[in-house]
Amino acid sequence: MRRLLTVLLLAFTAVVAVGVTYSPAQAHNVLIGSDPKDGATLAASPSQVTLVFDQAVRQGYAQVGVTGADGSSWADGSAVVAAERVSVKVKPLPAGGSYVVGYRILSSDGHPVTGKITFRLAADASGVAAGAAAGGSSADAAEAAANGGAGMAVVWIVGALLVLAAGTAVALRRAAPAAAPASTAAPASAAADGSVGAAGRGEGTGA
Amino acid sequence: MTAVAPPLARQRVGGRLVAGAFGVCAVVAAVAASSFTAQEAVPGIPMPGPVVSVGLPIVRVLLDVAAVAVVGLSLLPKLLGFKMPEHTEPVMVRVRPLAVLAAWAWAICALVTIVFQTAELNPGAVPTFGMIASYVGNVGTGQGLLFSAACALAAAGIGLMAVRFGEKVPAELRIIVALFGLLPIPVTGHAVNSVWHDPIMISMEIHVMGAAAWTGGLLATVVFLAPHSSLLAVVLPKFSRMATVCLLLVALSGLVTGLGTMALTPGVTLPGAIVTSHYGVLVIVKTALVALLVPLAAHIRFRLLPVIRRGGATALASWAVAEVGIMGLAYGVAVAITRASIA
Repeated sequence: MRRLLTVLLLAFTAVVAVGVTYSPAQAHNVLIGSDPKDGATLAASPSQVTLVFDQAVRQGYAQVGVTGADGSSWADGSAVVAAERVSVKVKPLPAGGSYVVGYRILSSDGHPVTGKITFRLAADASGVAAGAAAGGSSADAAEAAANGGAGMAVVWIVGALLVLAAGTAVALRRAAPAAAPASTAAPASAAADGSVGAAGRGEGTGA
Repeated sequence: MTAVAPPLARQRVGGRLVAGAFGVCAVVAAVAASSFTAQEAVPGIPMPGPVVSVGLPIVRVLLDVAAVAVVGLSLLPKLLGFKMPEHTEPVMVRVRPLAVLAAWAWAICALVTIVFQTAELNPGAVPTFGMIASYVGNVGTGQGLLFSAACALAAAGIGLMAVRFGEKVPAELRIIVALFGLLPIPVTGHAVNSVWHDPIMISMEIHVMGAAAWTGGLLATVVFLAPHSSLLAVVLPKFSRMATVCLLLVALSGLVTGLGTMALTPGVTLPGAIVTSHYGVLVIVKTALVALLVPLAAHIRFRLLPVIRRGGATALASWAVAEVGIMGLAYGVAVAITRASIA
């Protein structure tokens, strides 16, 4: 029992260590604002749509679409991520329509988050509102710093895999003679049943 | 030999039923809960196809099932003790190769999960090696799963040593490596952006390890020891003490994590969000499942255990089927809850 307690204590230490190592803010993003606002009625066609989340959005996987009531697409180009802001340029919109901005972004804890906001363009809307451009090179750098590389890990894993596969094959073959000839089925089944049956017979022989 | 065979054959079916109940309940609950929490399609955005939306929870829950099996099979030698090898060795000879196979299944499921999650982020495309590499390079979830796979392979390696050298390979080492492989799993779930991030993460780690030790220990004990009443009389009391601690840890850390995550997410107001958000509903479902487990566990502990201690025959396997079935449901819901929207 004391050894078990030691194990639990060690495991708990590992928990604390890992929990703290992984601490860079990785959380589930929530949409906290947008330009235009959800449900807003605009007097002029926006030049771009910007979505604001509570924290930085991951680069590379963000998608934003602007769709008219008839299903037509009005987004011009792909979404640009600048820290917590995701924006997409919009083609000049016809007046008097309602539009849906759909988004699917990769939250900083690694989950895809989807959602939508809607806005209307007033019937007498004209011209294109000037929009502020967003830049995000510092966000890139910060995100790159928060994530380590995975190149070496792949090499190690492939190597370890090969050694282990060879070991598994040898060990299962060696275990086979003790557990009756029927156990040739055992390595093929990842589930419990095959080798339980085979080994159970071996135990019977032993007793 | 012929005299021994019939009871063994009957008990093997019992063991299969217990293990199968856990696996089937876990997969069914994972698919059901994931389709309940599925993010609805939004106009203008391509969504992943059904292969990914159904396949991902299945692979993810199989990862959990394999990990639980490894933890349980690693705990078994510790529960059996090392004082009477002539009785425990016949059981352990069956258990050790299975632990290796389960560890392999764990590693493979973790790697397949990475592929599915890459596919989920790139809807409409079959993931290429480059896409997978950039996913693992950029997203913590991918790195966590890779680390988990590496630990699973380490567990397989140590398990192989145990197959070869028997109990000279310390049981504690196998337990630690298996539990260590569980550590990155919560990193693949939700996290909050606040000073409470670390305490909640630690609570989550305790939850995952406690659940794995409890479920895995029960599965291993019932599947392998139900036919051996003398071993059961030794192991079940030990497991029962451990399970009580696990039950308290799992329930407490689960509530702390669930409510804490909701309280700290912007735009979520408690207690209303408990019934309006997917995450909150799943927290309720999991709490209900744990509440269901309590009477079952109490029955095994206070009614069956004294009989088993005296060496009597009980309907342990049937009660255990009910208990692990509910545990499987909880594991399936857990897969959905790590991905459900909180707000």
